[in-house]
Amino acid sequence: MEQLAVRVEGLVINYGSFVAVENLSFTVKNGEIYGLLGPNGAGKTSTIKVLVGVLEPRSGKVEIFDTPLSDEVAVKSQIGYVPEEVVLLDSLTPREFLEFVASIRRLEASVANSRIERLTSAFELKQYFDTPIAALSMGNKQKVAIVAALMHEPKLLILDEPLIGLDARSSKILKELITFHAKKGGAVIFSTHIMEVAEKLCTKVGIINRGRIVGEGTVDDLRKLVKSAEGSLEDIFLKVTEQEAGMQEIVKALEEE
Amino acid sequence: MKFSETWRLSSKIYKEVSFQSIFSLRVGSPLPQRGKRDIRQLVRSARTNTLITKLITTAFIGIFGSIVFLPLTVNLPISGASRELTVVGSVSAFLAVVLFLIIFMGLQVSTSFVSSKVVEILSPLPLSKRDISNIVFLCFIRIFDIPLITAITVFLAAYLFVGGSILGSLIALAAIGTTEIFALTLTIGSARFFYTRVARGGGRSRWQTLLRFAFMLVWILPTFAAYIVVNFAGELVQSFASLTQGFSSSILQILALAYPFSWGFLVSYVTFPQAIGQFTLVLSAASSIGYAAIAYYCLRWVTGTVRKMGAGGIVTGLRELVKDTLIRPQVPWLGIIRKDLRVASRAPSYASLFLLPAMQTVILAISFSSISEVGLSAALGILIGISMITLLLPPTLLSIEGLASSYTRSLPMKKRTLISAKTLLSTVTYVISLIVLLIVASYLGRDFSYILTFGAIHGLAIAAAIMLELRILTNKFWTEGFAVGNIYSRLSIYILIFIPGFAVVLVPMIATIAAFFLAEQLVLPVFLAVASAEFALMSAVVIREK
Repeated sequence: MEQLAVRVEGLVINYGSFVAVENLSFTVKNGEIYGLLGPNGAGKTSTIKVLVGVLEPRSGKVEIFDTPLSDEVAVKSQIGYVPEEVVLLDSLTPREFLEFVASIRRLEASVANSRIERLTSAFELKQYFDTPIAALSMGNKQKVAIVAALMHEPKLLILDEPLIGLDARSSKILKELITFHAKKGGAVIFSTHIMEVAEKLCTKVGIINRGRIVGEGTVDDLRKLVKSAEGSLEDIFLKVTEQEAGMQEIVKALEEE
Repeated sequence: MKFSETWRLSSKIYKEVSFQSIFSLRVGSPLPQRGKRDIRQLVRSARTNTLITKLITTAFIGIFGSIVFLPLTVNLPISGASRELTVVGSVSAFLAVVLFLIIFMGLQVSTSFVSSKVVEILSPLPLSKRDISNIVFLCFIRIFDIPLITAITVFLAAYLFVGGSILGSLIALAAIGTTEIFALTLTIGSARFFYTRVARGGGRSRWQTLLRFAFMLVWILPTFAAYIVVNFAGELVQSFASLTQGFSSSILQILALAYPFSWGFLVSYVTFPQAIGQFTLVLSAASSIGYAAIAYYCLRWVTGTVRKMGAGGIVTGLRELVKDTLIRPQVPWLGIIRKDLRVASRAPSYASLFLLPAMQTVILAISFSSISEVGLSAALGILIGISMITLLLPPTLLSIEGLASSYTRSLPMKKRTLISAKTLLSTVTYVISLIVLLIVASYLGRDFSYILTFGAIHGLAIAAAIMLELRILTNKFWTEGFAVGNIYSRLSIYILIFIPGFAVVLVPMIATIAAFFLAEQLVLPVFLAVASAEFALMSAVVIREK
């Protein structure tokens, strides 16, 4: 049987009485770029936080490369994660921060340095390497998080809105890196609100609404689901999340004001 | 804009600055995801904490004001000249303490004030630059309002209570006013320097690292000074009076030129006009006028600087020329320690905690300096004092993990590695305290061998207590997504963690006291056995952590 990169079964996440994710199930195969889409507050980030071990689920089964989440260190060693809100250790410089991350990941200095050199050059981060993270722009903070996520060449990349704040060049490079990672056999979970990017980049898409998967498959699969032969992913998304109804009227009302 | 409206708006900004002073570096915790109730609780806690800090400073000023003037009412000096010099000592000590306390309190909040980018919140609003400047300035004043008013009130009330004159009160008012302006100038100057050159200027070279640590020492100096002066207020004033009693008039005249003594001499002269020489009076009056003039310029500088912040004029983040992107990864536990030290070197609240046990040791050593031989009970007393302060470190150290826990918790970090690293760092801080004690003991010529022997052994119990505290915290941190960074807003948790830790350090002492009464020769072996057993037990528990 083929090894799955990610297996999520019946995941439930709650914050007190509020249930953010309800009975969520999906799988991601090696070589797949899985787009996790959904409106604000749908449960994407909560799901991702469970996968990377930041959040404890109430129930459900989650395995990363057949390893249960309870084996935290083994699971986390295989993941490269870029969070949605990039809050790193602000008083450290990127050099100091990456040194800390490399220490925790037990990376050899020679290996880490050659990867960092390539990545910082690619993302034009070198000039900020000794500037405290607090003083960096949002985009540059994002780049530090991306370098930290890729530094150990993880088998699974989990990227929560990674393109926010990135300039066009860096955005392009990151998308190329994601594609290359998948081609090499790695897996990617990618959350975004930019439907065009998801449509071009992702090999499979899962749309979450109110904590449940409401559509999953390739873009073509989803077209069949909504019975539309030519619709864009944005159109499909609006349909399956039931956000399309009444939208035209709202836009019209706003224009008339 | 009307003043009332500006004052009202400054209150909103002040609340935000207060919030950021506690939580600005702790936004990385996953807590914000936990719901509105938690956030509201945090906001309330931030406000309460800021108010408590103000009230503590105010209480210190009030208590110190009472103590410092006590020798004038209760313990009246015998000779005529001593009374005047006691007034000089009291006034000078009070001014020095107000200066230190306001700086200490201000430094905690002012860095956030400088770095909070309050102007960024105000700029997009339809407000003129002048309005923004005024709001920012009033916000700055709000940071210090209660302590500033208390210092004036206490000083004048205490002075009048001990029989001060009306003219003396006016000069006392000028003296306290000058002191408060100096305190505000030093606070905002230090905060600005810290923010622009230390906190936000990275710096890889050893020189810059050294500079950061040196500045951190300067930063926490007011804590130390205030602590000593407040602890030994009465003694200091009396020592000053008796010391200066033997001074020649020329030394007194030189002293009359120096702040805050110039004000002390001037207030003393107008209270007891016959007692101090005319020339000393002229010198103290001239220098006090000089200090008042400097204070006037300082006030203009403070006003201008704070208003400039309102206009967004603070330049930060000096970028360095980067030669390479090489890093030096360590083994995980060393990586954690290095990261903790780096974070601490840039945050006064953390840095001061590292030095607090050593400071506490000095205070205890001074307190015990009058005892020629320190026996078992005194030794255990000192060790309890040192260990209590040391046990405050682990939660603080773990709170560093909360700074960016929404990211760092995704790293493959073992709990036992985290606990070991922080235990080592906290225990080293305790060992430094013992070394400081040895140095002070050698200087005072006292035999502190009891403390050093028992202290070294007690290190095992302290390490065990630290491991216990960290284990409780990490388990809560791991399983509940508990935001360690916000521990200060949950004092009950802090206390609940401290109590078992303290129990662990007390157990060997209780066993030793029991041994003392039952079989005195077994005191040391019992102490060693219990401390070692605690250490072995906790080590075994920690090793089992994944």
